[in-house]
Amino acid sequence: MDSQAPRVTVEGFDGPLDLLLELVEEKKLDILTVRLGDLADEYLARVRAMAALPADEVSAFLALASRLVLLKARSLLPSLEPLAEEEGESEDELRARLLEYAVVRERASALGARLRAGERAFHREGGTIELPPRGGEVDALASAWSRVLALAARQREEDIVAPAERYSVEQRTAEIEALVGAQERVTFATLLAEAPNVEFAVVTFIALLDLYRRGEIDLSQDELFGNILITWRQRGSAQS
Amino acid sequence: MEATGIRSELANAIEAVLFVAEKPVGRGELARIVGGTPRAIENALAELGASYEGTGLRLQRSGDEWQIVTATEHASQVAAYLGADRLRLSAASLETLSVVAYRQPVTRAEVEAIRGVNCDQTIYTLASRRLIEERGRKEAPGRPILYGTTWEFLECFGLQSLDDLPRALSPEGQLLESAEATQGERA
Repeated sequence: MDSQAPRVTVEGFDGPLDLLLELVEEKKLDILTVRLGDLADEYLARVRAMAALPADEVSAFLALASRLVLLKARSLLPSLEPLAEEEGESEDELRARLLEYAVVRERASALGARLRAGERAFHREGGTIELPPRGGEVDALASAWSRVLALAARQREEDIVAPAERYSVEQRTAEIEALVGAQERVTFATLLAEAPNVEFAVVTFIALLDLYRRGEIDLSQDELFGNILITWRQRGSAQS
Repeated sequence: MEATGIRSELANAIEAVLFVAEKPVGRGELARIVGGTPRAIENALAELGASYEGTGLRLQRSGDEWQIVTATEHASQVAAYLGADRLRLSAASLETLSVVAYRQPVTRAEVEAIRGVNCDQTIYTLASRRLIEERGRKEAPGRPILYGTTWEFLECFGLQSLDDLPRALSPEGQLLESAEATQGERA
């Protein structure tokens, strides 16, 4: 899965230096001593044999070909004066590039070998750890458990003693209004403590929401899962 | 520092933090969290790294950031557990990657000068696989993008840090050959 189909030839495209290096290696020549001009004919033959490449890529091959041909001409005619417009790289410069490229290719194949060997590392993957709001507080768990037990005990009693009461939001609202009005501040737990069963809790909660909506009270909670504090809102500030 | 000895509190604290971290943690951040001078942190990290020898874990470093990773020896088991695909790259992409790895930070033009071919596509491929990334701009005409290798690069090639690169990928090939030989014995 190396690349998208249409770009395969470009992705795997090796280039003029690669071709030149290939010739040197095939002939078992030393990059340091080979006369690069000697490779001009074979290089040209290879370029001609290549399947059609995009024009800009062919031009890169041709640029190097012309350089090689010039080097060859120079070796045949040592007396040849440098052309006025000749500013391309010398044989030494080309050799240096070829050497550098040879190292790159070697490193690349070493990288490839490492990849094929599959000797890689992995880091720990995972979602964000959700820390409990009160991390590791054993007492909190114990007291919560005792509350559950107490609740369950009372629930059983009620089930036996009396059928579930009917609560009305209106009535409960009035009760809360009176209580909060008198005490200024009351906690949600206090409101539930009288008869904590689900119906009563729901009605109480709806009543609170309604009071809050009407701007009668303010609700605040210091920390996650902490007690909800209900405060009587000052008439003056409610009007502003 | 002895590999079998009991590790320092600091090394243990760093290990604990790096264990839960999902991304590399900087040395400065470690110092702030576990408390200690940069020097002490550096020593503790070295101690931790050394203590992982002969275990299934390694300490990986990129620049000044650290992360606990799995040992390359167990790549196949971890890959099997994760259901991870093996990364495959063309020879051209590998060439570009090796130039970036050794010459970083480097511009595309510099890579092209060395490889003698257009490297648009290979740079795009490597960047989209998060093996290389932008490292700012070069103060040169056109302010070209500078590229460098990523954490993923170190992981994918099982390098504990960029310092590992010459050892693992010696151009002379000697170290490489011997590594392959031992691997053959193991297989």
